[in-house]
Amino acid sequence: MDIVVVILLVIGLLFFFATTIGLLRLPDFYSRMHAAGKGDTLSSLLILLALVLYEFHEVNLANLLVAMKILLIVVFIFMASPTATHAITDAGFESGVKPWTKNPEEES
Amino acid sequence: MIWQLDLSVLTLIVICAFATIMVKDLLSAAIIFGAYSFLMCLLWTEMGAVDVAFTEASVGAGVSTVLFFAAVHQTSRKVKPRKSGRWFSKIIALMAALLTGLVLIIAEADFPGFASPFSPASLHLSPYYITQTLHDTNVPNMVTSVLADYRGFDTMFETAVIFTAGLAVIAILRRYKKEDRCDLPEPYVISAGYPDTMIRFVARQLVPFIQLFALYVVAHGHHSPGGGFQGGVILGASFILLAVSYDSKMIIGRMSEKWNVLLGNIGVLIYAGIGFLCLLLGANFLDYSMLSKVLPATDKIMARSHGMLGIEIGVAIAVMAIVISIYINIISHGKYDKVE
Repeated sequence: MDIVVVILLVIGLLFFFATTIGLLRLPDFYSRMHAAGKGDTLSSLLILLALVLYEFHEVNLANLLVAMKILLIVVFIFMASPTATHAITDAGFESGVKPWTKNPEEES
Repeated sequence: MIWQLDLSVLTLIVICAFATIMVKDLLSAAIIFGAYSFLMCLLWTEMGAVDVAFTEASVGAGVSTVLFFAAVHQTSRKVKPRKSGRWFSKIIALMAALLTGLVLIIAEADFPGFASPFSPASLHLSPYYITQTLHDTNVPNMVTSVLADYRGFDTMFETAVIFTAGLAVIAILRRYKKEDRCDLPEPYVISAGYPDTMIRFVARQLVPFIQLFALYVVAHGHHSPGGGFQGGVILGASFILLAVSYDSKMIIGRMSEKWNVLLGNIGVLIYAGIGFLCLLLGANFLDYSMLSKVLPATDKIMARSHGMLGIEIGVAIAVMAIVISIYINIISHGKYDKVE
């Protein structure tokens, strides 16, 4: 059980790391939002699942309730986080942020 | 306490505080201030003050950031460039700041050490609350019982302060006449562009859950972190979410100005009314144990628990109404529903 928890945590942290790198290194607003939105959601899912599994060391009612609450948080993150990313990207598009292209001269 | 975590969080807090002051763009300053609030929340959680952290997360990082955003959106994003020069006044300001800091540092020597077990507070006050709260009031969360019972008078005036803040915002921003006396840009109707189905759908699905959670926070404040202030702010935030994803008319249809002001009044009156009810029943102001005479099937200890629940509900109603009222007044330039 512990091994699964550790593996989930490490994979989650790796995705967080990739998110951070993407946020710092990608060239424009849209691709940065792409990195932030996807990586953040998946890594929070993995880390929270690890916490749920960790709660099951002792199976009793209190731990079960805590695990249920964490699962609820997962559900709400899955609804709210992609929508927030979409809202920010959409706001950027509406206020006219230009997407990055390889050759700036080719823009029409 | 894990000192490595404390140190890194504190360093980030100081950096965020400086960045908030130095940044020229006010919108960025508001965002950094939100990050600052979340770091403070993390620090408090780590120190074990979960109730305070909860308040900071909902009020500091949540609603006040939204209010800052709305205010920046309605005014201007840029800081006016300061006139440089005047080195004389700058030196005077620096001297004043240094002197104040020096006085504070000297005065600090008289205090007992940080978290010292021999300070008067930890010797006489805290042990009483820690050992006697459950016995006195039947409330496991002693923060709630201290806040709402032992020093309920203080909390009543905190609620009054929030109510007064709402009144002040109405007095300053609300405009009843049609013509404007000052030159402001046209009121911005949030989400005036094409309706975004995805955001609206998700907001509409989330709002009931947010409100249910807010009620849980209010009602469960005796057993877990939370209470009237946090629950009220979350309730207000659910309405603000609707206003952001639709437009302000959406929530004015549900919470008109009349209801907002009325509910703000009712909330404070519930709090003060419970206090006066205790007075009428022959106890001190806000001494809930006497409520056992009017509440069925409660002894004096349970009556204190129920009294706390009553005032928490009052606080939640007042805070929710005031938060909504402040938000609508800011985004509509004080015209409320008359956004043309």
